[in-house]
Amino acid sequence: MTQPMIVRVHDIVGGPLCVSTEDGQRLHDKIFPLLNAGTPLVLSFDRVDTLISAFLNAAIGQLYGELPEECLRDLLSVRDMNDDDRVILKRVVDNAKLYFKHREEFDRAWREELGDEEDEE
Amino acid sequence: MIYRLPTVRSTFNGFEHLGRFASRTKDLFFDELILDMSEVNFFDANMAAPLGAILARVADAFNSVDIDAVPGKVARILRKNRFLTRYGYEPLRDGHRTAMPFRRLRLSGQSAFEDYVDQWLEREGMPEMSRRARKAFKRKVFEIYQNAVIHSESDIGVFVCGQFFPKKKRLDFTIADAGIGIRETVRRYFENDRIGSVRSLRWALAPHHTTKRGRLPGGLGLQLLKDFTRLNGGKIQIASRFGFYEYSDGAENFRKMSADFPGTAVTIEVNTADESTYVLSDETARDEIF
Repeated sequence: MTQPMIVRVHDIVGGPLCVSTEDGQRLHDKIFPLLNAGTPLVLSFDRVDTLISAFLNAAIGQLYGELPEECLRDLLSVRDMNDDDRVILKRVVDNAKLYFKHREEFDRAWREELGDEEDEE
Repeated sequence: MIYRLPTVRSTFNGFEHLGRFASRTKDLFFDELILDMSEVNFFDANMAAPLGAILARVADAFNSVDIDAVPGKVARILRKNRFLTRYGYEPLRDGHRTAMPFRRLRLSGQSAFEDYVDQWLEREGMPEMSRRARKAFKRKVFEIYQNAVIHSESDIGVFVCGQFFPKKKRLDFTIADAGIGIRETVRRYFENDRIGSVRSLRWALAPHHTTKRGRLPGGLGLQLLKDFTRLNGGKIQIASRFGFYEYSDGAENFRKMSADFPGTAVTIEVNTADESTYVLSDETARDEIF
């Protein structure tokens, strides 16, 4: 495999705050073509101060709807990430895998559960 | 119109009171509202955020808003956190520096929100936090803020307020929006306008859900908040339309309110005595991520 390229998340976002869907989408749009072409990437979270699920859903979660899981496992890795942020990323990735595999089943079950209860104004 | 507000605490009853107030004032147009607070014996400082959201909606419909007859003790709380200064009251010096003041922020103002959180968390008087604890707290409040940004459709922004209680070693923080509420988001997603507020809240807090359509997974913000609260203690409260949710002391409680609280208000309470209440579980940190 070719040498992985290092993507500095702080530099793409333009600061230490990784909280918005828009910024996550920007990162996604930069890395998707590279991953799609088979380029291994290391996402560096150096100097990232605040990282939340909304950003990661857009940046990384949606990749699971576009590329096979095995491909992402082979091509993508992270560094300079503390344990707390890794926990969030792991949750986002697990959620994305389930979302793209089972969404219709989840929705069907909840459609029945939610029912027609309304007596609110 | 003169509306007499009762005591408002950060509880189910407190949000019902605010919901009743919102329902009574929602049709005012080019009118005058006087909020009479003479019967308010106590007002939890963080509840200034949802009250501020309701009053902003009233003002947005070309009504004048005045607040009158605020008892001394209540006025001290609401002058210290600057809520009442918007209504002509003088600010009061926050000698203990324990208030995170009332602010109205735009949905596009993530930098302003960060500045607000940093500025007030770093003040002398606020709880001492390690870097890790501060980051964890910021993450929680940003999850709430971003949830409002994505879902609320609140065209008048979000309203924030916090209070640290040094003796109890508790920090309460509330973000309220004046938006459509979780119920409306869920109704649109399922194309069913009979889904109730409590069931909508249950859905929003259950795993693997999102109301986003298309290629973007989501819906983790509130679930993460709930999971971290379960792991680490503390309290979370969500009021949205007729739905009320509270997680406290290991117990989860969903209730239907008798009044329609417009929009969504999320409160977190962290125990500042215990560093473990801030940080996340390490159990999955070393696992394979992708």
